[in-house]
Amino acid sequence: MKIGRPIKAATASLLVLLAGTGPVRVHPHVFAQATLEIAVNSAGEVEALGHVWRFDDLFSSTVLLEFDENSDLQLDENELATVAGVVHDSLAEFDYFQFVSVNGAPTAMQAPDKLLATHENDQLTILFQSQPVKPLKLNGTVAFGVYDPTFYTAIDFYEDGDLIVRGMPEGCSRTVVRPDPDEALAANQDTLTEAFFNDPSGNDVTKLFATRLEVTCGATN
Amino acid sequence: MIRSGQTLPALVLTASVLAFSGAALAQSSLGIGNSEATLPSTGMFAGILNWVNAQQQGFYRTLTGALKTMKQDGSGTWVLVGLSFAYGVFHAAGPGHGKAVISSYMLANEVALKRGVVLSLLSALLQGLTAILVMGAVFLALRGSSVSMTDATWFLELASYALITGFGLWLLWRKAGVRLVSRVRAKPAHSLSAASVAHDHVHHHHGHDHAHHDHNHDHDHDHHHHHHVEGEVCPECGHAHMPDPKLLSEREFSWRSAWTAVAAVGLRPCTGALIVLSFAFLNSLWVAGVLSVLAMSIGTAITVSILAILAVTAKNWAVLIAGEGPRRETIHVGIEIAGAALVFLLGLTLLSASLTT
Repeated sequence: MKIGRPIKAATASLLVLLAGTGPVRVHPHVFAQATLEIAVNSAGEVEALGHVWRFDDLFSSTVLLEFDENSDLQLDENELATVAGVVHDSLAEFDYFQFVSVNGAPTAMQAPDKLLATHENDQLTILFQSQPVKPLKLNGTVAFGVYDPTFYTAIDFYEDGDLIVRGMPEGCSRTVVRPDPDEALAANQDTLTEAFFNDPSGNDVTKLFATRLEVTCGATN
Repeated sequence: MIRSGQTLPALVLTASVLAFSGAALAQSSLGIGNSEATLPSTGMFAGILNWVNAQQQGFYRTLTGALKTMKQDGSGTWVLVGLSFAYGVFHAAGPGHGKAVISSYMLANEVALKRGVVLSLLSALLQGLTAILVMGAVFLALRGSSVSMTDATWFLELASYALITGFGLWLLWRKAGVRLVSRVRAKPAHSLSAASVAHDHVHHHHGHDHAHHDHNHDHDHDHHHHHHVEGEVCPECGHAHMPDPKLLSEREFSWRSAWTAVAAVGLRPCTGALIVLSFAFLNSLWVAGVLSVLAMSIGTAITVSILAILAVTAKNWAVLIAGEGPRRETIHVGIEIAGAALVFLLGLTLLSASLTT
């Protein structure tokens, strides 16, 4: 019995079928112009990350439509508090888009008590601060990434200067890393395939594309 | 030959389950607006997908820029329409359930290519229309009420995914379930399986002509499923020992099921369209907003059509190179069942993702 041909045909059609129905990442529908301020105390420990996200006009207008309870086409204090609350609750699942690692090992950040929302010049802005769970000493390479692992929001740092370190200790240096998506994919092809089978939701790969700030200090401090 | 007939659907099913087992997020990470529930990327196509993703982002950014310009000086409607069209083309090539459902549906059924293009166009236009209706309702009626746009969209999304799941289940039943039941019910398993293969042969080449040779003599005596053809003429004749979708004539049915596919896809408005519309409506750019969404729909329809045509061409090609004889039918049936299974799994994945978040 010759089964080679039908199997080949079936495989070929299956491939085309998978390509046709093939799954893709979400592309961002929301853009935020971001700044990150890392406050370091005199002991060389990170005290807090301060975030400012200014959302694009279009998303801001959907927020206005959705939360304008009294229909005056303005977001007043109460309405803004509701917006901040909703975003606060939703972001909890995604670590508030903060991804900090010390020499490659992830380290946790506290959930902020609250978020602050403003709506000025048709733009929604979200501000918040977050502290490390455990004392976070700048030692070796500490990487700070701010991104949406679901790709829904594009957190954009337009300039390297939008990632700031306040009180950087002597002997430390900062680098802003902006991975080239193609290179990142090529460099991680093997791990990506593995990552897919471990975590098919694909959230793992987002970190490869995200802008991050690396602070490198002398190996022994 | 029967063995390979069983391995193929099993293989296809396994592959589909693997491909779609990932969780997807329907509600957005910000909690405002809905991100499209999508299926995980496989890495196999990561390069292309990444490119598509980059194009989408680019178009979307330019699109929002064009809207902002319009708000300031009211010019550039046609630029906006052009950009929306391009966004639609790339958007459909990226995430989204539309192309997946339509192509799988076309794999599972004998659909003429021309009709497939019409289906793609209809589903994309309906999607645009849903977006316009939702946004119109939100802007004119729901604003200030407790029903938010996120809620309304989520409801439509759930309805859409539930419909896709149900539709997939029904397709699966029609493609695989009926076959299985008739195989179990029949005493001489071998002859029956041959008959079902032969039956499909008829289905493939002569559309809805079910006039099997034995049919005229045997339909009252055995439980050979061809006797249901009788039901097409006289549905109340009283030998309905099981509900058989084959009761409905293929031609009539294909339109009914096609409309289900269109509705299932079209119910869920595209997030990009909603965002563009809300901005346009807020700034009284009514015509521009509607034109932009229509252009997006047409762009989407083109991509979905191309993918659907590719899928069907590949299927025909696979059936063709499988050679003559029963093997061809095995492949044919296998692909149809796989198509039905894909629609079902797709719906299930999207639905569960939508419900859990």
